[in-house]
Amino acid sequence: MKKIYYILFGFLLSLMVLSCGEKSKQDDEKLKSAPWEEVEAKANGTTVNFMMWQGSTAINDYINNYVVPSVKEKYNIDLQISGGQGPEIVQLVMGEKQANIYEGQVDMVWINGETFFQLRKVDGLWGPFVEQLPNASLIDFEDAFINTDFQQPVNGMEAPWSINQFAIVYDYEKVPNPPKSIPELENFIKQHPGTFTISNDFTGMTLLKSLLAELGGEPNVLDGPFNEKKYNQLSEKLWSFINDNKQYFWKEGRTFPKEQSKMNQLYANGELLIAYGFSEGGIEDKVLNGLYPKTTKGYAWENGTIRNSNYLGILHNSPQKSGAMQVINFLLSPEAQLKKADANGMDSNTVLAMDKLDLEWKDKFLEARKRQYGPTLKQLEVNAIAEPAPEYMIRLYEDFRKKVIEN
Amino acid sequence: MKIKKPNIGILLFVLVGVVPFAAAFVYALLYSFGVIGVANNGFTFQFWESVLASGTFFTSLRYSFMIALVAVLISVGGALWITLKFREQLEKRFLSFIIYLPLAIPGIVTGFFTFQLFSKGGFFARISHKLGFITEASQFPDLVNDGLAIGIIFSFITMIMPFFVLLFLNVYKNERVEELSILAQSLGASANQITQRVFLPILIKKTWVLIVLYFIFLLGAYEVPLILGQESPQMLSVLIIQEIKQYDLDKISEGYVVAVLYTLIVSIAAIVLFLPKKNRAYAN
Repeated sequence: MKKIYYILFGFLLSLMVLSCGEKSKQDDEKLKSAPWEEVEAKANGTTVNFMMWQGSTAINDYINNYVVPSVKEKYNIDLQISGGQGPEIVQLVMGEKQANIYEGQVDMVWINGETFFQLRKVDGLWGPFVEQLPNASLIDFEDAFINTDFQQPVNGMEAPWSINQFAIVYDYEKVPNPPKSIPELENFIKQHPGTFTISNDFTGMTLLKSLLAELGGEPNVLDGPFNEKKYNQLSEKLWSFINDNKQYFWKEGRTFPKEQSKMNQLYANGELLIAYGFSEGGIEDKVLNGLYPKTTKGYAWENGTIRNSNYLGILHNSPQKSGAMQVINFLLSPEAQLKKADANGMDSNTVLAMDKLDLEWKDKFLEARKRQYGPTLKQLEVNAIAEPAPEYMIRLYEDFRKKVIEN
Repeated sequence: MKIKKPNIGILLFVLVGVVPFAAAFVYALLYSFGVIGVANNGFTFQFWESVLASGTFFTSLRYSFMIALVAVLISVGGALWITLKFREQLEKRFLSFIIYLPLAIPGIVTGFFTFQLFSKGGFFARISHKLGFITEASQFPDLVNDGLAIGIIFSFITMIMPFFVLLFLNVYKNERVEELSILAQSLGASANQITQRVFLPILIKKTWVLIVLYFIFLLGAYEVPLILGQESPQMLSVLIIQEIKQYDLDKISEGYVVAVLYTLIVSIAAIVLFLPKKNRAYAN
């Protein structure tokens, strides 16, 4: 008899949980069309969990010592930060979906196109919400590098946070004429064997996308949806270029660094003469911290390097969606974006359009501290190409492993 | 139903040790067949087929097996030698403290130390450069992230050799090997005979279970090969995590296939090895 009570109790409990989920779903739908005042009122006093990449002191300093106290003071929101990027976020969402958790651990996430693609695939994002944010009016959504993320229209499902371009990093005292194309790279590594490599991560694959575009003969050859035939044709050339010249790579191409940070260290200690990365090479803070020599510079590939934006999204099962919207709106404010652009701080380019800003803010942005070492986004602009469809990256990963690393 | 005291112990063991493991195994098994997983569409053999066909798993298994075997052989051999030669010195306080020290250092730290010491921009490379042995960083030999897994094996040895030294010292005392050696000597055995007939058989016989367990532990090590390994082949745990965390959500199940295969192989090996046998001696 007792058993039956237990079963009944369990059944009732699960019914209650289910109905709660149903109710909050309806509230969430209303939130998508609610006036901003209502969102603001709901956001007051909430605790918002933000999962983001915490691998840089400058970024952590900006978030912990500026954003967290600011949103507490202005909106009475407790912003909690937890560490995690791309795969961790996707794993979390998939795990919570599997366990039918309607109120997840995390409200908002910092993502790029690859994660956006994955989260869309598993319906992990909530939205559209961007249009409701008052500060979204300061962003130029006509800009293709902002409104399209890895060839996928953003459609208000994620809010742009910063924009940046991939750049090649070198030391102009050691390498007066760095390579800007594949034939030049081939000559370079033959002259300086062991000084170039491809990191087996997001960064390395992004370089491969640039090379793929160059092999296709023009900057925009990879635009549009994934094209299997085009990929096979171009990647064939890419792998034979790499495999033919592998013996001139770092460690004779027998192994490749697992991630960019390792490559940066190899560049810093002189093993590599060429490194690369997003954020226009990420040179400024590494020179200021003494990791890179002061003679470090950055440039874009002749045929172009990838330019993309990174974004803020709200998870489908976020318990505090209004709070997350308020925080994201603050992160897009001229004040927060200006602070983020400080070259000695987070040093990241604003997504705000200068012609949409008040004169006062425009002047402040113009007067903001400039980089001493790294190139600016503007300098690389002419050589910018858009991110190709996510499938290119997935295939490059797989084939780089099969056809180069395991070869 | 009355619960007797020894049963509580078994119950706790099952609850803490067996249930979570079994649940995780079932989860991995279902994932590997595509039954669960947000990006999967129901039961399929596709993931098993592609893992078995690609051969990466078997390469990784062989590679991990060789690394663990070499590391355990060198560690056990070295520890036996140290016990034989330096037993008296090791009983002094300071030296025994030195031996304990590496046991307190986690694997991930050992991995980083090894990297700092042996990489091409590391401590020894810098000294070699200062002394004029090499003129460029790239001339320093490949000791980490290398094909022969020298860095990984070195880290493993520094992690487990001290443990075996302590273990052998204890067994040496508890099993009265010293007295037995003196006895053998008085019966006319030579120093070599004592080592081969008394010292080695007793120590190995009393500790072989632990030696095998350490081998299995190294087979599944993660942090050290993550820091010091190369991109291919990889040790098993690194391969599993890489597959599970990959960008292509459709292939996450392949990571679970590798995990299930690995668990099966290790479990079967453990059962075969540790199945109760007659007249067997356990390690203390």
